Amino acid sequence: MDILCCPVCKGNLELVVAREEDEILEGGLICHHCDFTYEIEDGIPNLLPPELR
Amino acid sequence: MEFLRDKRRAQRFYRHLSKIYDTWIRDLFWNERMRAYGLEMAGLHAGMEVLDVGCGTGFLSEGILEVTPSVWGLDITPEQLQRARRKLSIPLVRGDAENLPFHAERFDAVLSSGSIEYWPDPVQALREMRRVLRPGGVAMVGGPTRPRDRLYRLLADNMMLFYDEAEALEMFDQAGFRDVRVGYTGPAWKPDLAIVTRGVKA
Repeated sequence: MDILCCPVCKGNLELVVAREEDEILEGGLICHHCDFTYEIEDGIPNLLPPELR
Repeated sequence: MEFLRDKRRAQRFYRHLSKIYDTWIRDLFWNERMRAYGLEMAGLHAGMEVLDVGCGTGFLSEGILEVTPSVWGLDITPEQLQRARRKLSIPLVRGDAENLPFHAERFDAVLSSGSIEYWPDPVQALREMRRVLRPGGVAMVGGPTRPRDRLYRLLADNMMLFYDEAEALEMFDQAGFRDVRVGYTGPAWKPDLAIVTRGVKA
């Protein structure tokens, strides 16, 4: 997971796990610089820039 | 702007196509022999860390896994990613080729097939591929060749990006790649359907 960065500012992300079974199923990756949380759903983080949602 | 070079439209297109994609769509335009050609151009070897941009249902990633166990898949369409997730146990990320969510210099190779035709700004996406490559790393991109027939060319150019060798060289050059090479591959019905371009991050 430390390979991942914010797609906008390229800064580090903080991982928050909500549900885990072998892999992280639900959670979020927080960019504190952009003040945005990229959600993890069904084991796949959505790292689309906010403007593309 | 060509019809499918809109990120939301491309996602909707693939959301519907996803249901039948693996059964016949993919094989018609990008088969195993073509994949092998692309992998050969990329010069992959065991131990390399690889990113597959626009991985779709994971067809290229499957080929990469035969060479090296470390592959990340990125795609913009969640339905395609869920199909990839059911087939392969590789890390997958939903994201945009022009805004890669990876730190700089983390991959030895960044590969992409059948995706560039949907990118509104391909040079920006190639710059992003270069950014995440380690020095000496290789990028390989397979996309559709620009048809020579005038009518097909008109139809093609209004749908998505089709490009020729000169355009491929220019895009890779603008993105900062060195030692750029171009080759062609295709299915039996059209042996030069796909143009494969590879470049090195100096």
